[in-house]
Amino acid sequence: MPLSILVPLVTVGILGIALLLHLLGLSRPVALSDESAARDAWLSEFPDDAPLRVLLSRNRMAALVETPKGRGVVWPMGADTTARYLTGARITRRAEGLRISLPDYTAPRIDLVLDEAETGVWAAPEEQDA
Amino acid sequence: MSDQITFPDVVNWAVPFFIAAILIELLWIVLKGRGGRYETRDAVTSLILGAGSVASGVLLGFIAYGFFMALWAITPLDLGTSWWVIALCFVLDDLRYYWVHRFGHRIRWVWASHVNHHSSQHYNLTTALRQTWTGTFTFMMVVRAPLILLGFHPALVLFCGGLNLIYQFWIHTEAIGRMPRWFEAVMNTPSHHRVHHGRNPRYLDANYAGVFIIWDKMFGTFVPELDHEKPDYGLVHNLGTFNPIRVVFHEWVGILRDVIQPGLTWRERLMYCVAPPGWSHDASRDTSADIKRKHLAKHPSDRGSPGFTAPE
Repeated sequence: MPLSILVPLVTVGILGIALLLHLLGLSRPVALSDESAARDAWLSEFPDDAPLRVLLSRNRMAALVETPKGRGVVWPMGADTTARYLTGARITRRAEGLRISLPDYTAPRIDLVLDEAETGVWAAPEEQDA
Repeated sequence: MSDQITFPDVVNWAVPFFIAAILIELLWIVLKGRGGRYETRDAVTSLILGAGSVASGVLLGFIAYGFFMALWAITPLDLGTSWWVIALCFVLDDLRYYWVHRFGHRIRWVWASHVNHHSSQHYNLTTALRQTWTGTFTFMMVVRAPLILLGFHPALVLFCGGLNLIYQFWIHTEAIGRMPRWFEAVMNTPSHHRVHHGRNPRYLDANYAGVFIIWDKMFGTFVPELDHEKPDYGLVHNLGTFNPIRVVFHEWVGILRDVIQPGLTWRERLMYCVAPPGWSHDASRDTSADIKRKHLAKHPSDRGSPGFTAPE
């Protein structure tokens, strides 16, 4: 197929599918239903390190996890979740909450939407890790 | 010897079909409320990776093709392009695909290229298009060398490879349960390939087939999809980014960081490149064998069941 046809076809195809998915409401990130869901999401990534304590954000869009190996965070990846330890994390406050910068090429930045009171609770122990 | 044989670039010609099939699958899922999941950023990442894969083929394809033509120049054999030669080439190229794919999961250098195909936590037709940009750098084109030396023209071999890729598109779906028993016995199917994309310990390192599942049955890597254990799609450690550049290159970056860390022997540096994914010099990470062993320690009753039959 000539590139003069292929390139527009691929471009329109990607943009069209993206628009359609968004209009169908498929861009909404998943929410963690409760602490148990957050715990399961953590164990899905780190099955050998069960959480000792889970702190779910009020909007249920993230969870702070304390484990025998250290602290970590669970957050949505689209309709799913992932998790990382906070080892080497740099925590900065933003108007909407916190930004966690990790020395991890596969998860360089996590933006958490937290209210002011929550931000203080989440940031306090984490800033000690930074 | 025939040097000027041409075959259509079937993958590019299949692009309209890919788009139409994705729209049909999406419509099916939305209308029926079952048969898979879609998410915008995940799908867009897959589609961008697909487009980038085609672009990398345009930019870097000359390297593999040049290598094949050099082999073609030295081989005294020319099988021509009769229908049976095309059919035989398709079957043998599928055997080639099986081994390249198996290497892709067992050798980290090759996994670095293939990993992005497994990086989605979804399993739908867009996942099929989440293809590598860096395949040229794995040097796996050498596995095709015997085909060329046996007298299959490079253009024919690449044509069969394109057909193989197109076949594999439709099996990336949850909308199809199981095909008729005879078909499941011989061909790679959505059910077999869902297993391949599963990160469940049971399903790791299974079902490498492209078109014919018989290769997995012959070489002992076949695991059936179990009704009581739905595949959990994605990587053992799922990515925390949808950035296509990071998705494509993350394992290469991981290899580089591991290889240059101070205090390693040269053997350890080499092993970070060629050992199975998850290998580490201090055993701080898990390979698929470690993951299976740990699973069996927690669930000893699974020992001997599909996916846990290999000797430890």
